[in-house]
Amino acid sequence: MTVPATQTRISPPEPGAPSRIAALRNWSVFDRRFFGLAALPAFLAVFVITVVPLVVGLGLSFSSVTSTHNGVLPLTFANYKHIFDDSEVHTVLINTLIYVVLAVVLETLLGLGLALLMTRKNRAISVFRVIFLLPLTVAGVAAAISWDALLNTSQGWVDYFLNLAHLPQPNWLASATTALPSVVLVDLWSGVPVVTVIVLAALISAPRDPIEAALVDGAGVWARFRYVTFPAIRPALVLAALLRTVAAFQQFALFQILTGGGPGLNTTVLNFYVYQQTIVFNNIGYGAALAILLLVVMAVPLVILFVLSRRR
Amino acid sequence: MSIRADKLPTPPASRRPRRIIQRASGGVFTYVLLIIGAVFVLLPLFWLLSTAFKTPAAAFALPPKWISKPTTSNFTTLLTGQFGHSVLNSLIVAAASTAVALLLGIPAGYSFARAPVRGSRIINSWFILAYVAPPAVFIIPLYIIYQHLSLLDTYWGLVLAYETGLLPFTVWLMRVYFAEVPRELDEAAWIDGCSKMRALWRVVLPTVWPGVSTVGLLVGLASWGEYFGAAILTGPRTQTAPVAVYSFVGTLTTNWSELAAAGLIVVVPALIATIAVQRGFVSGLTFGAVKQ
Repeated sequence: MTVPATQTRISPPEPGAPSRIAALRNWSVFDRRFFGLAALPAFLAVFVITVVPLVVGLGLSFSSVTSTHNGVLPLTFANYKHIFDDSEVHTVLINTLIYVVLAVVLETLLGLGLALLMTRKNRAISVFRVIFLLPLTVAGVAAAISWDALLNTSQGWVDYFLNLAHLPQPNWLASATTALPSVVLVDLWSGVPVVTVIVLAALISAPRDPIEAALVDGAGVWARFRYVTFPAIRPALVLAALLRTVAAFQQFALFQILTGGGPGLNTTVLNFYVYQQTIVFNNIGYGAALAILLLVVMAVPLVILFVLSRRR
Repeated sequence: MSIRADKLPTPPASRRPRRIIQRASGGVFTYVLLIIGAVFVLLPLFWLLSTAFKTPAAAFALPPKWISKPTTSNFTTLLTGQFGHSVLNSLIVAAASTAVALLLGIPAGYSFARAPVRGSRIINSWFILAYVAPPAVFIIPLYIIYQHLSLLDTYWGLVLAYETGLLPFTVWLMRVYFAEVPRELDEAAWIDGCSKMRALWRVVLPTVWPGVSTVGLLVGLASWGEYFGAAILTGPRTQTAPVAVYSFVGTLTTNWSELAAAGLIVVVPALIATIAVQRGFVSGLTFGAVKQ
C-alpha cells in the first residue's frame, strides 16, 4: 500500500470532549435498532400487500372459481391449457404486441425528436417546453373522454376539420382497421411528453464541451448526434422507453373509454382482457391465470431494455 | 467553467450567406414541427376547457362555436350532485394514500440509504417488481380477498391497493434523495446528542424537503387520477371522480358539456398541484435517475 496506514486511521477522541461512545451509550434501544425499525413498517406493508395477492392470484389461477362455482379445489392446469388452446387469447396477444411496440417505438422516437428540437433555449422554446409538460398532469380518464369526443365520427372536431381540408375522414375508433392505431394515437398524446421531458432533462444536463469540441473538429449534424449527444442521453432514453413499456402494458382507461375492446376483439389487449374475464364475466380462476400470463409477457421487453441499459 | 453555445458570439452576418439561409430555414422548420406538436397537445385540453362552459346543445354544434355565452351551470349541477361526492372521495383517497406512503416510505428510504440493510438487493428488486407489475396482478386477487374481508367499497381497501405500487415507489425515491445528503450531517447531529429519530426529523429531513414534496406530488397525482383499481374496488359509497367520469360516458345520450366539466374538475387540481411543486418533477418521474 502506498498510503501510510496512519492517515486512514480515525484518531481517538480527545480526552474531555464528549466521546462518540458516550453519545451512543445514551441512546435508547429504539435508537440502536433505529434503522431496522424505520424500515420495518414499509417493508412489512409492501410484503403483505404484494405477496399475499400474488400468492392468492397464483392459487386462483389453478382453480376454477367463477360466479357460480366458489370452491378453490381441485387445483388443475385447466386454465393454462385453455389459454394455449383459445384462439381469442392469440388475437389478444397479437393486439397487445402491436399496441405496445407501436406505442413505445413511436413515443421514444417522437419524444426524442421533440426534445432535440427544444434543447436550445429562448423565449418561444420555453413556452413550448411548458406546453409539452401539460399532458403529464392530465389523468388518463380526462384525456380519454376528450379524444373520444374529438374523434367522434359524426360530431367530432377532428373529422370536421379534415372535411374542411378535403382530407379523408377515417372512422377512427369505430372501424376494425383504424381502432387500434387510434388508441395508440391517444396514447402518444400522454406518452410522447413523458419521453420528451426525461430526454430533455438529460440533454440540458449533458456537458457542452464534447459537443463544442466536435463542432470545432467539423463534425456534421449526424456525427455529432451519433457519437456525442446520443451516448450522453442513452441511459435517459432507455429509462423513458422502459417507463412507457410499463405504461403501455398497464393501459386500461383508454381501452375502456374509447373502444371497450371493440369493434369485435380488435382493440382487446391482455390487460383489458384480464379485466373482462375476471370482473365482467366472473371467470375469476381463468382471469387470474391470464394475469400471470400478463406478468410473464411483460417481463420479456423489460428484461431486454434492462440489458440494453447495462451494456456499455 | 463550460461555455454554453447560446452565449457564444454569433459570427458576422456577411460571412456565409448560404449558412444563414440554411440556419433560418432550419429554425422555421423547427418551429413548424413544434407548432404541430403543440396543436396536438392543446387540442383535447382546449376541447375540455371550451366545452365545459357550453350549454349541452352548443357542445355538439358544428362548426364548433368558439365564442358562445359561457355558462357555469355544468359545474353547479355536477358539484351539487353525486359527482361532488365523488370528488370528495378522490380527495380523501389521494390524501390518505399520500400520507401513508410518506409516513412509511420516508423512514424506510432513510434506512435504506444509510444502513446496509441485510438482503437489500433482494428488497430493491422486489420493490421494483411491485412498482412495474401490472396492477391487475394485485388488484384482481385483492378483489376476491376484499370480498371476504368486506373491504370492497371502503377507503382503506382502495388506499391499501394503491400502496402496492406507491409505497415501493416512495421508498425507492426517498432513498435516492437521502443518499445525496452527506452522511457527516447525520453523524454530527448524533454526536451532538440527537437521537436518530430527532436527527432525521430535525436535521436530515429539512434538507430533502424538495424531494419529499416531489414524491408527495407524484404519489398524490397517481392516486387522484387512478382508474383501474378504483373501477374494480370502489362502489357507490367510495366511487372516485375518474370512475364517475366514465359513468357519464356509459349513458346513451352522453351530455358532452357535463362530461367535459367533469373532466376539467379532474384535471385542474392536478395542474395546480404540479405548478405549486414544479421542482424535481422530472427527477421524480425517473426514480431520481435524471437530474433536473
